[in-house]
Amino acid sequence: MRALVTGANGFLGRRVVAALLAQGHSVRALVRPATSVEEIGWPASVEVVRGDLRSARELAPAFDNVDVLVHLAAAVTGGEDAMFASTVSGTERLLTAMAGAACRRIVLASSFAVYDWSSIRGTLDESSPIESGADLYRRDGYTIAKSWQERVTRRFAAEHGWDLTVLRPGFIWGRDHGYLAACGQQIGRLHVVIGPFSHLPLTHVDNCADLFARAAADPRAAGQTFNVVDGPGERIWSYLGNHLKRSGEAGFRVPVPYTLVYGIVSLAFATVFKRNEKLPHVLVPCRFESRLKPLRYTNRRAAELLDWHPPFDYAECLRRSYS
Amino acid sequence: MRAALIGAGQIARQHLSCLKTLPAVQIAGVCDLSPAVAESIAERYGVPAWFTDHTAMLREVKPDVVHVTTPPTSHFRLAMDALQAGAHVLVEKPATATLAELEELLRYAAGQQLVLTEDYNYVFNHATREIARWVETGQLGAVVHVEVMMALNLFGPGGFADPNARHPALTLAGGALADFLPHLASLAHRFIGAHTRAHAIWTKRRASILPYDELHAVIEGAHATATLGFSATAQPDAFWLRVFGERAQASTNLFETRLTFERLRDGPKPLQPLLNGLEEARAVRRAAIGTLMRKFKPGPGTYDGMWHLISGTYTALAQRTPVPVPVEHVLEVNRMVEALKPREAES
Repeated sequence: MRALVTGANGFLGRRVVAALLAQGHSVRALVRPATSVEEIGWPASVEVVRGDLRSARELAPAFDNVDVLVHLAAAVTGGEDAMFASTVSGTERLLTAMAGAACRRIVLASSFAVYDWSSIRGTLDESSPIESGADLYRRDGYTIAKSWQERVTRRFAAEHGWDLTVLRPGFIWGRDHGYLAACGQQIGRLHVVIGPFSHLPLTHVDNCADLFARAAADPRAAGQTFNVVDGPGERIWSYLGNHLKRSGEAGFRVPVPYTLVYGIVSLAFATVFKRNEKLPHVLVPCRFESRLKPLRYTNRRAAELLDWHPPFDYAECLRRSYS
Repeated sequence: MRAALIGAGQIARQHLSCLKTLPAVQIAGVCDLSPAVAESIAERYGVPAWFTDHTAMLREVKPDVVHVTTPPTSHFRLAMDALQAGAHVLVEKPATATLAELEELLRYAAGQQLVLTEDYNYVFNHATREIARWVETGQLGAVVHVEVMMALNLFGPGGFADPNARHPALTLAGGALADFLPHLASLAHRFIGAHTRAHAIWTKRRASILPYDELHAVIEGAHATATLGFSATAQPDAFWLRVFGERAQASTNLFETRLTFERLRDGPKPLQPLLNGLEEARAVRRAAIGTLMRKFKPGPGTYDGMWHLISGTYTALAQRTPVPVPVEHVLEVNRMVEALKPREAES
């Protein structure tokens, strides 16, 4: 099987390329024109094609003899409109090129961000509602772009009869990516841990990449949506403690109850800030919830349908990330 | 009045946010080459129709005013199509890639009794209007000289110097800096009027795909002079406008809310620096807090000038009075811009 991987030199992309190769597949890696790939150390069998989804005019040749598109490319920084143009318009360009090719299979990297966190209680799983309508535009630019990227991809797949698998990872962590938005609010060396006993929807990058490679090759994944988490997740307090200890960063953790902070944020938003959505993310209730709301998480669906179990346990993931 | 937008990127959202606050305006359609961009903007701003073909939008929506908010090299064709569909046009700066294109648009608009106006938003910022008021009331005295200096880092990821995706503005003469030149020129024009002579120096300090990252120019008007500057390497980001009058000097950072005046005062001369200094300190302190609070408040934020210009333009069109940026100002500013463009030998 030959896979075309977008975002191949990103944090997740590099591991997905490695996982595909390890599972015996061929990889064509789409990377931006000015990006250096030498230091990644890909074997010669990885075919590198150059293109930037924001501006590339001719993407069709990248699909020659490709069996599956693993679409990971998305902007994670920049302004809201730049992220939309890069992530969503880039996906439109990519899939328009695919429409003229023989490839009929896609694995899309979506995100936990697309869920409607405000309305979900208890366990967040693949049947949970996703954010839509006017409420979507109250969320952050990354969420708006990822939601639209998934929407656009589903429309293309439906129109062209492609087999689509949507994978929605939680927080992807690993080497140099240990500190997560859900760790709380950092003020110098002080870490205000909001809801210290909440579980984190974690997936280590190597586990996450393993599921992407599996889903790309397994016909049972076609037409399915999977959340990607390694399990119920570590608690924020212990995860951050491990991160500070193993990374050697000096810092103090201060626990604050989630309900108390959420109450203050909601009250301030409705009164002092007059529901202004230009505020920093942590001060807008729906964005606050999408980072910090205490829910439960499960990878049951991937286990049941694909027999997938994360290859590495938490202790091994810590070793891989910090040693 | 029925408004429609061609181009639904970042600056279009500023236009839409303003239009949503104008009760006499109905946003009838938006258009973008990307279907997802067009549809999402329509969903977000409650616009009833979205298009990927601007001619279809002009035909079906029949707008009274069209906002052209696409990359600059497409402005001429889109603005002409909008004029030919019988709509007034508000075009984002730079209005066109060349002066000849602009003159053609203006000739056509005049023949059809239509208005074509360009967005000089910083001319209508609160601080600029306040300085203009000091000029008009005589508090500043006759304007002697104007300094306009923008420092803006263009080297960030996804910006003008991104080597992966060439920014459309790089096709303009002068490259990315040409995208900012109308801001500089329109501010100078506001206080010294049309230019009689102009000289610009275009240089490059840092290796990048930008043809230039530094511009400095001297302008002579009928009664006053101006210097214009742009630096992509000087930091922190700031947009200084200083107006020197015969009785006072005004200074504002248009990226913030800071506006200070130094003026001639009655009383003992040795006390003047003290009194001016204390007054300036108060103004700077107020502005520091005001700039922070502005981020927490709904409304236009740094785009207050654009909101003022757009609402003023719609009021003028409805009342058939002169728009805030009349055709002669558009021409004079663009002639100044043309005079400042890099010569062949430099480019």
